[in-house]
Amino acid sequence: MEFITNPLSLMIILPAAAGLALLAVPADRTGALKGLSLAATLAVLLVSLKLYAGFDPAGAAMQFQLDRAWLPSFGINYFLGIDGISLLMIMLTALLMPIAVLASFNYIKESARAYYATLLFLEAAMIGVFAALDLFVFYLFWEAMLIPMYFLIGIWGGPKRIYAALKFFIYTMAGSVLMLVAILWVVSSNHAATGAWTFSIPALYGGALTAQAQFWLFAAFALAFAVKVPLFPFHTWLPDAHVEAPTAGSVLLAGILLKMGVYGYLRLAVPLFPVAAVTFAPWLAGLGVIGIIYGSLVAWSQRDMKKMVAYSSVAHLGTVMLGVMAFEPSAVAGAVLQMVNHGLSTGALFLLVGVLYERRHTRMIEDYGGLAKVMPGFAAVFMIVTLSSVGLPGLNGFIGEVLVLFGSFKVYPWLAGAAVGGVILSAVYMLGMYQQVVFGPLRHTENKILQDLNVREWLYLLPLVIFIVLIGVWPNPLLRRAMPAVNNYITLSRQQTAPVVPEVKIALGGKEQE
Amino acid sequence: MTPDSINFAAYSITVPILLTLGALFCLLLPLFIRQLRGTQGLIALGTVFAALTFLRRAPAAELSFFSGALLLSPLSAYLWTFVLGVLALVITLSLVRPSAPEESEGEYYFLLFMAGIGLMTLVAAGDLFTAFIALELLSLPVYALAGIRRSKPGLEAAYKYFMLGAFGSGMTVMGIAILNALYPALTFAALKAGTPQPMALAGFLLVISGFAFKTALVPFHMWVPDAYEGAPTQISAFMGAAVKAGGVIVLWRLFSLFNGGPVHEIFWWLAVITAVSANLMALAQSGLKRLLAYSSVAHAGYLAVAFFGGQKGFEAVLYYLPVYAIATIGAFAVALVLEKGDKGPLIEDLAGLAKRRPWLAGAMSAFMFSLAGVPPLAGFFAKFYAFSGAVNSGFTGLVVIAIIMSAVSMYYYLKVTVVMYMKPSVGDHAEAPAGVAEAVIFLLAAGVILAGVFSRPLLTLTTEAARWF
Repeated sequence: MEFITNPLSLMIILPAAAGLALLAVPADRTGALKGLSLAATLAVLLVSLKLYAGFDPAGAAMQFQLDRAWLPSFGINYFLGIDGISLLMIMLTALLMPIAVLASFNYIKESARAYYATLLFLEAAMIGVFAALDLFVFYLFWEAMLIPMYFLIGIWGGPKRIYAALKFFIYTMAGSVLMLVAILWVVSSNHAATGAWTFSIPALYGGALTAQAQFWLFAAFALAFAVKVPLFPFHTWLPDAHVEAPTAGSVLLAGILLKMGVYGYLRLAVPLFPVAAVTFAPWLAGLGVIGIIYGSLVAWSQRDMKKMVAYSSVAHLGTVMLGVMAFEPSAVAGAVLQMVNHGLSTGALFLLVGVLYERRHTRMIEDYGGLAKVMPGFAAVFMIVTLSSVGLPGLNGFIGEVLVLFGSFKVYPWLAGAAVGGVILSAVYMLGMYQQVVFGPLRHTENKILQDLNVREWLYLLPLVIFIVLIGVWPNPLLRRAMPAVNNYITLSRQQTAPVVPEVKIALGGKEQE
Repeated sequence: MTPDSINFAAYSITVPILLTLGALFCLLLPLFIRQLRGTQGLIALGTVFAALTFLRRAPAAELSFFSGALLLSPLSAYLWTFVLGVLALVITLSLVRPSAPEESEGEYYFLLFMAGIGLMTLVAAGDLFTAFIALELLSLPVYALAGIRRSKPGLEAAYKYFMLGAFGSGMTVMGIAILNALYPALTFAALKAGTPQPMALAGFLLVISGFAFKTALVPFHMWVPDAYEGAPTQISAFMGAAVKAGGVIVLWRLFSLFNGGPVHEIFWWLAVITAVSANLMALAQSGLKRLLAYSSVAHAGYLAVAFFGGQKGFEAVLYYLPVYAIATIGAFAVALVLEKGDKGPLIEDLAGLAKRRPWLAGAMSAFMFSLAGVPPLAGFFAKFYAFSGAVNSGFTGLVVIAIIMSAVSMYYYLKVTVVMYMKPSVGDHAEAPAGVAEAVIFLLAAGVILAGVFSRPLLTLTTEAARWF
């Protein structure tokens, strides 16, 4: 019974069960399929509200815990629980899912049944990743999520979908298989030290691992998460996957999946291997900043709106990584907030591009212009979302960016300084795109007859706009809930402050050098 | 002996006797009673189900028969159940899609049963010589089965399989002869207690190579692709699922005679070479059955990795075998449903399957993802258990190689799903309506989906069985 009464477990089981139920509906009853999947995602959203209401903002421990033996001979438990960071991520997932379903109503014409079932399975796996407190369960959901995303891109994607889907799957999979070996190693060495088999993440925190072991283990975890974030230079799968995925796929990819990489650093890589984390942190932060500059420059040169938004994601996630690797309360809190912000604003941007694409079947910037005259509602929403994405004060993006930059300036002044340049660049290309698409004369006759946003589109854009403004003026409820988790993260990362560089012996020309 | 064990032994011994009777029935009865022709398959299936009812939960003891030649224990009970399950599936598939010409149907089931009995003896063998005889009893019928259709690829398959298999048998016999010269008793227990001698190593290596042929470890795998491709698909499934299992069990017994040393080193290299080369070769395949053949070689490599996990590793092997068998038989069954010529379908022939037969494509993807080891499917759990033992014993390097190669394998398994879901149908496909074959496929797909997440009961059984090898 506890599998259903525990809200976390319910949020995993409910969408999975709904996905299975969907498969029983006749394939041609598209109305029933849409209704059922929307109802299921809304139900999950409802449960998430209950989660939010019942969450103790000051509690430093994991909340809503559920711990049941699953495979006792290996010490694997079905162990769920959340802190403030996972709470925000789960809320974001629960919010974006009904939006993704609504946005798919007209876009998906073929095999709708499989499509909505896939979306629901994806939701179960995504929430599972954020709720898992057992390493095995985490890895299980982490990998299981690839299957639905792979099919979303590969079946319902654009012209180069097969290439994009394979690249997405193989990159992510190849990145994470070494993490599995690392997990086995951590558990095995914990068994050697304590005599107990356990995959419980909290129990593995603070384990007695040598600096040498931590170095390699952190590297294995960091690689898996770096591919997912994606950090430069592991980002090359992202533009392909984003451009080819259907709108809902892009929204979830940018909104949720990328956050999982950062979440992995916050929950696993850093707290499990603090000694190695301190050694790696400046490099990861540096890669984050390179991502900001590089992502912005590449985004600037794009003429395809979706590609531009995709590369802007690389830049935004770079900012987040800079904050996470600074181990400074305000920077980490800012990074967590920025994860939510990026999910909202980039999700909205992909939806807006999707709105245009459904009408004109092109995503090229030069095919538009002067849309403010025919689509005033669209132009207004697009304006708010763009400004949020570039970090205008008063909107959500500003708070996150400022916290990250201020916090990380204390630790990495040069990197933070360079990151500011990236923020300016983002304003250049985002506003440039906005101007070319929305303002100016209506150059193309096809655009004169474009319809403004309809009710369904308002329905899924409005919640995002509301949250963009709300978080911009009043971010405290979110920050307050995230803060205990952020402090835990920093405490865990400071368990040993002295960075230790491992002895790596490299044999060159037969001679061994240190 | 307690009454419990006498009971168990009596029931157990009935199983091969029943199978022998069933085999003779299938072979001889239709010769005399004309009306029975064409019903051999049903007789065979009935025999297997009857045999299944004679399986009992084994008491926690090892009973040795015929002066240690045959060992009955929870391990043999587990593996015999596995063998009977595979036989039941293969026979059901042969019933719905005949794999032998009508006039040799009797021989077909006779040979299949003989191979089954050989396999059962092989996994319960207590000494090397029994193991060898059982191996021959297993192999000879399968050579004949591979060519039972007398088609050109079938004969080629049988011929290659026989030539290389005979070579492998020769090596095994030679090795056993050397060992027998050094050790008077050839039971595994006696070999373990025997004093190590330099010549013995040569004998063990020859025996190991012989069984590596059956298990299809690289470089003893050359027969696999052609044999799998040319044999009737049901027999390919039997080879992949069952014959390999027999080889694995004997190899494990040989492996566990040693504590490190050169034999383990050789296993290390066999595992690495198999995992690396099989996966690389599989990338280039275009025939579905050839792809599955190379995939079966690769999985033999992962099983060899599991050996290094000690007791836990053997538990993992026992879990791995049925999980791998389910996925492989399922995939071969899909090939069977789609095949038209002698060589089975090409991967391209699956194009558009998701549109035409969404459920079949869904089941096939489940098999592919399970073989690739993607959670939450059972194949992931199997690999996880297999690798976790090896990491615990300190063979992290070996696991890293195996797991990287399993990431490579992702590409060719995904290729199948790409073709099914993302490529349009070519040509017309007037396929038979869904029938029993599809029912079997869906049953197996359900197994692949559920056996991982709910692996606790199976794990309990394997833990119990692994104590008695």
